[in-house]
Amino acid sequence: MEPPKMASPKSAPKDAQVMAQILKDMGITEYEPRVINQMLEFAYRYVTTILEDAKIYSSHAKKSSVDADDVRLAIQCRTDQSFTSPPPRDFLLDIARQKNQTPLPLIKPYSGPRLPPDRYCLTAPNYRLKSMQKKVSSSAGRITVPRLSVGAVSSRPSTPTLGTPSAQTVSVSAKVGTPVSLTGQRFTVQIPSSQAAVKSATPTTPTVQNVLINPSLIGPKNILITTNMVSSQNTSNESNPLKRKHDDDDDYDNL
Amino acid sequence: DRQTLMAVLQFLRRSNLRESEEILRREARLLGDDLRGSVATVASSSPGVAAVAAVPPGKGGARAGAAGSLPGAGGRPRPAGPRGLGGLCLPQPRGLSVMLGHKVGGGIVVEDQPDVSAVLSAYNQQGDPTLYEEYYSGLKHFIECSLDCHRAELSQLFYPLFVHMYLELVYNQHESEAKSFFERFHGDQECYYQDDLRVLSSLTKKEHMKGNETMLDFRTSKFVLRISRDSYQLLKRHLQEKQNNQIWNIVQEHLYIDIFDGMPRSKQQIDAMVGSLAGEAKREANKAKVFFGLLKEPEFDVPLDDEDEEGENEEGKPKKKKPKKDSVGSKSKKQDPNAPPQNRIPLPELKDSDKLDKVMNMKEAARRVRLGPECLPSICFYTFLNAYQGLTAVDITDDSSMIVGGFADSTVRVWSVTPKKLRSVKTAADLSLIDKESDDVLERIMDEKTASELKILYGHSGPVYGTSFSPDRNYLLSCSEDGTVRLWSLQTFTCLVGYKGHNYPVWDTQFSPYGYYFVSGGHDRVARLWATDHYQPLRIFAGHLADVTCTRFHPNSNYIATGSADRTVRLWDVLNGNCVRIFTGHKGPIHSLAFSPNGRFLATGATDGRVLLWDIGHGLMVGELKGHTDTIYALRFSRDGEILASGSMDNTVRLWDAVKAFEDLETDDFTTATGHINLPENSQDLLLGTYMTKSTPVVHLHFTRRNLLLAAGAYSSQ
Repeated sequence: MEPPKMASPKSAPKDAQVMAQILKDMGITEYEPRVINQMLEFAYRYVTTILEDAKIYSSHAKKSSVDADDVRLAIQCRTDQSFTSPPPRDFLLDIARQKNQTPLPLIKPYSGPRLPPDRYCLTAPNYRLKSMQKKVSSSAGRITVPRLSVGAVSSRPSTPTLGTPSAQTVSVSAKVGTPVSLTGQRFTVQIPSSQAAVKSATPTTPTVQNVLINPSLIGPKNILITTNMVSSQNTSNESNPLKRKHDDDDDYDNL
Repeated sequence: DRQTLMAVLQFLRRSNLRESEEILRREARLLGDDLRGSVATVASSSPGVAAVAAVPPGKGGARAGAAGSLPGAGGRPRPAGPRGLGGLCLPQPRGLSVMLGHKVGGGIVVEDQPDVSAVLSAYNQQGDPTLYEEYYSGLKHFIECSLDCHRAELSQLFYPLFVHMYLELVYNQHESEAKSFFERFHGDQECYYQDDLRVLSSLTKKEHMKGNETMLDFRTSKFVLRISRDSYQLLKRHLQEKQNNQIWNIVQEHLYIDIFDGMPRSKQQIDAMVGSLAGEAKREANKAKVFFGLLKEPEFDVPLDDEDEEGENEEGKPKKKKPKKDSVGSKSKKQDPNAPPQNRIPLPELKDSDKLDKVMNMKEAARRVRLGPECLPSICFYTFLNAYQGLTAVDITDDSSMIVGGFADSTVRVWSVTPKKLRSVKTAADLSLIDKESDDVLERIMDEKTASELKILYGHSGPVYGTSFSPDRNYLLSCSEDGTVRLWSLQTFTCLVGYKGHNYPVWDTQFSPYGYYFVSGGHDRVARLWATDHYQPLRIFAGHLADVTCTRFHPNSNYIATGSADRTVRLWDVLNGNCVRIFTGHKGPIHSLAFSPNGRFLATGATDGRVLLWDIGHGLMVGELKGHTDTIYALRFSRDGEILASGSMDNTVRLWDAVKAFEDLETDDFTTATGHINLPENSQDLLLGTYMTKSTPVVHLHFTRRNLLLAAGAYSSQ
């Protein structure tokens, strides 16, 4: 590929030209044009980070202005952090000597797939099923859908904030009577915060709250649930008739 | 001991005990004359100060200690051992330097009393910086005026001297002198060092050196030169006459001169062997015994088959890899003296599926095409389209049924090359339903719903630089810039293990030919040997000065070859991790390695476009194949070793006659002793064919079991 031409000074700013010259000096003749931009961006970011750090160090040392020592210290600290280099040779030779002294382990015959112990493998499931709760008798027709959330909202216990259950119930169901399309997607349901009763008790509303949805709108396989740590809420919900029922969990989890 | 003597002399001088110093010096010189080896004394111009230089004969003669006569040296702790201690140069008026001769080799820092320890620190050689240019040009003049036969050999000194002098100036913070030194002399160096010099030109301050591991290693390791005795005597005489003490210092401290008796080498011979970051290899580095023979095939009953004529062979010794020059032939009872014992390293036992595979292999081998200069293989090229220069690694299974590509977007994609699609195993619920006793249980466990030609494996977080199928086709390895090597199952197409050890990009990985072990090499300059059931490496092969770019197993799985960016190829023993061979001669980082099927030879390819052939047993270069014009990324021998195929970035595949290249190998005693042979200029004769692709660099080559050549690369539109 042709190196980008520097001969159009109108289009290439000066620092781009300098960068192209540096690349040429280092012997790099073929590169995509984007490389110059990336290098410039890196240079700018690196220098500003160093200078900011140097400013902090110099103000810590109660100096009136930033001097070379501060910059040197800033560079050193950043190098140890981000630009680590591989271990030095004598260290490598040392650990190699240690490692190579142990004889090769014998291979056990007939042991199936030879893999490390399970904790070092990636074969464990990366999800966890919610534990089954006792089914609380629900009022007729109300199927509660468990908390559906995308993010980590779990730590905020929302149920205790739902102050007056019955009033809540009514208003919610009124709101969400309108059909929500539930086919085949994950969704978060946002209850508009105009429910004053709730609002007063809640410092901040989580984006997802309990929803009462017309059961006919739900097919068994239409909803993908992302799990999160809801066990803490489970126990607190015991007495609340508004609490989520977990019978539907199992259906969904067994998809 | 020599060291102690010198230290005492120094101490006396610093304490201004001039007379005692003189007496001691006279006595020591007397003793020095009695030593074996040559001890030359150089009289410097200043009165009363004599520099005693003891020349290392290269083998390290025993020195009679002068300790008995040392006054007041009793309480001084003895130096820890011989070390490449820099010549002591006290800061003194110009033209004077007191030097210490010392033994070359060894690597232990001398510990001495605190008042001299500051001066004895190895790196602070304080020659006069402004004189460096003079020393260097003086040497240059001398070498250019020397006899032709010696000139080529002595010219080898230029590069290491130049680099070390420059680094010393930089280290001692004489920036302007360093710069002018560089400007003046960098053009004189050989063309193949230009890349290094460019890197060097960017190192102008001491701080720059700190982060650069390669340069630090270069400074601490010894650059090896092979010089004939005559040339060496010439050099030594000159350096000692001319008071070029600084150069002599550097020669002693940083260079290891491997002296051999015999004719000086010609420029051509030297050029073939030099080029690596650490000079050439010492002769004794290549003297260890290497078991390059193949392991015996296990005996098992082969099911009799009409079409299979090998089936009659009760001993079960398949002839699929008939070695060409193996005098043992097919006698299975006699042990090949060059083959390792069967249980030298533990290898996994042969499973039933492996035995079936071997039977298949034998059947295919019977139908194999015999290749030769008259019968060239057909080449089938697999082009990866729309890869946008992101294809970074390719591998093909041994039976040529699957091909895998590693990409810069961190995915690993597996394709089926045959009409049979890729299927994954059924889920646990379904598996419990099938009949385990049925004959085709292995087909029943596969889930037809998941059949597809392509499977994509996600998991890495950086470009995938190396891929390798296991010989039993159950596992796939991939190594990536994120520092991990991942093991994937080809039955469930999921990731099983991530091996973390290199914390830096891993450039290459390969399964052992028997499975279970695999090797990986990366930016941290080491190669590691792993077993699939250990989460930590079993062996660490440390010794390279720069990144390990290519790692391959020997066919008998007892040795590993690593090619590196320091332009050397090393052969390591799996059993104890020792480096048994060092091959120098490439002028650029090595990117491809291939063992011949009989295990005797190694072919290496690098960015300099040359393929070098090495005899492993003797540790010598036996061939050089010139023709490619760009980096060689793929090398492969045909199944019986008759043809060597090489694929390169210059969009060509070239076929070379391997039989002829290894044919007339006269390794007489002289050759093996001195380690260099005259390479015939026969690249053109050996080249059997050049095949151009349509602007597709060749990344991988593979001979099928019937000797059809498969090649792979990604189409790049420029």
